[in-house]
Amino acid sequence: MNAAPSWRRRALVRRAINAAITLTICLFALFPILWGLSTSLKPSGRILAFPPELLPSQPTLEHYRLLVKTGIHGPLANSAIVSFATVVLALVLGTLAAYALARFEFRGKRAILFAVIAIMSIPLPSLLVPSFIFLALLGLTNTLTGLALLYTTYQLPITVWILYGYFRTIPREYENAAMIDGYSRLEALRKVVLPLSGPGLIAAGLFVLTFAWNDFVVAVAMNSSEGARTLPVAIYGYLGFFGREWGPLTAAAMVSVVPVIVIFALFQRYFLSGMSGGGVKG
Amino acid sequence: MSAVRFKGVGKRFGSVVALADLDLEIEPGEFVSLLGPSGSGKTTTLNLLAGLLPIDEGEISIGDRVVNHVPPDRRDIAMVFQNYALYPHMSVHENIAFPLRARGRALDDAKIDAMVTGVAGKLGIGELLARYPKELSGGQQQRVALGRAMVREPKVFLLDEPLSNLDARLRLRMRRDLKALHDALGATIVYVTHDQAEAMTLSTRVAVFNHGRLQQFDTPEAIYHRPANIFVGNFVGEREMNLIPGDLAVENGASVVRGRGMAMALGSASPTFSAAAGSRVVLGVRAEGIVPVADPMATDVPARVVATERAGPEVAVFASAGDGIELCCRAEAHAQFGKGQAIGLRFVPEYLHLFDAGSEKSLRIRGSTKEE
Repeated sequence: MNAAPSWRRRALVRRAINAAITLTICLFALFPILWGLSTSLKPSGRILAFPPELLPSQPTLEHYRLLVKTGIHGPLANSAIVSFATVVLALVLGTLAAYALARFEFRGKRAILFAVIAIMSIPLPSLLVPSFIFLALLGLTNTLTGLALLYTTYQLPITVWILYGYFRTIPREYENAAMIDGYSRLEALRKVVLPLSGPGLIAAGLFVLTFAWNDFVVAVAMNSSEGARTLPVAIYGYLGFFGREWGPLTAAAMVSVVPVIVIFALFQRYFLSGMSGGGVKG
Repeated sequence: MSAVRFKGVGKRFGSVVALADLDLEIEPGEFVSLLGPSGSGKTTTLNLLAGLLPIDEGEISIGDRVVNHVPPDRRDIAMVFQNYALYPHMSVHENIAFPLRARGRALDDAKIDAMVTGVAGKLGIGELLARYPKELSGGQQQRVALGRAMVREPKVFLLDEPLSNLDARLRLRMRRDLKALHDALGATIVYVTHDQAEAMTLSTRVAVFNHGRLQQFDTPEAIYHRPANIFVGNFVGEREMNLIPGDLAVENGASVVRGRGMAMALGSASPTFSAAAGSRVVLGVRAEGIVPVADPMATDVPARVVATERAGPEVAVFASAGDGIELCCRAEAHAQFGKGQAIGLRFVPEYLHLFDAGSEKSLRIRGSTKEE
């Protein structure tokens, strides 16, 4: 190895430094989650032990068992249903709106695009009271439907914006070709544009999904019934339930974090190319 | 195969007139090129015919049917795009089969497969059916695009600069293939191009466009030898036309153009020329209409060689004549002309075109006594 040319050694050193920096940043970002994971696996008595230990010396699943016993699956299912419905609704409506904005010239188009951006800049908390009144008038408080509709409303602007940008990177010729080949515009959208929009759809979908899955503020404001409780609200419940019970709390948090991490890991490649608004097309 | 008719067709984009008052009748089975520089209205014409743009005024019909309000998918046309627009997420087979799977065709898979294989065989892309567009070369993509258009046996083929993305050699070969294809299919083809050589070699008739207006619609022969105006004369042909402004005079029964310090004889005066005598004209002459001769005293127009350019089998000679106007002429390959050499220029009357200086229209096209 000592015969290795100097440029190769330098490249190696540089790569090592890169790796070290990346690792440090990752550890820094991941530490709370790792700490939560570790805490959730410790018996209650040892959680606040000093000195703290990162790797639990007596790992246990007792907190997870408690979650199952207290019925975490209810809120888990609620969150899954609401998130799924929100993603589907936002993508369907967002696709149609974004496609129209990307392809047609019509009066008020600029105003709509401006509104889409303007709405994104309104802070969510300021919308809570009007949203609640509106939802109450419709009789949709304490329902999953109400939540899904609200989430869709909040997330539609960003969905439209991402898809609008993505559709504009797809050459019109594909649709023109499809229409001349005997397909209507909607069929062309479905058979040609959407299959080419995977990265854009995934990027928008992940945005919506993380919002709907993680939202606490809206859910806690709109719902007070146990039946429509979503996971983030349920986690909060574990905090107060047994005083400061860190074990069940972190265990519930882990349950909530894992699905999002898995989905992101699966789609991260598309997410990045979708966000950079283009991606590779044949 | 069907006839295509434009009647008083116009199209505006905002305040820009993209196409004005177009009348064009294409016979069934014709190969018609729409030729012009970019922004001349040729692509607009094609898109109007395809139904990709709404038409502002006038009437377009395919066969006996007025198609103004017929959407593209109902016009029974096929189109090959400049960038081919092959669907990237589909294999070659799926691309070619795509038009056959459109609603309302109701073909079963076996039939579709037979048609796709048949067309692919004709185009020599039978081995590529399982590949994806990005795995193909430009020429192969071109063939797939043609196959997708051919497979449905449409009434009219629309080709939008289909060869412009290919390299020069391949373009020449595809040109021949396209012509053979037209002969074999006998289909009506409307072909958009800015390449005059493509238009002249492929077409039965050429429609030349400029500034949204049809300038001339005629056979390649007529377009080349009897251009309707200065634009057509200048746009068609390998090189720019030499344009010499001057005054037309009739002397002793022969017409002469005097201008830029030269006098050019046009041969015997036709009635049209006689009528135009005394007016300002522009004499247009292609390189092959001026013959350089070594002896400066042998002709009426002495000149000096500025540059020579070997172009294949012949030599282009750029010579300065009269008051310094630079003219391009064509000499045989073995001719030796050195830079700075004094020569004479002989104008070939058959190749001279006379245009009115104001309207830029040809003075020869009507009432001329002599045509090539």
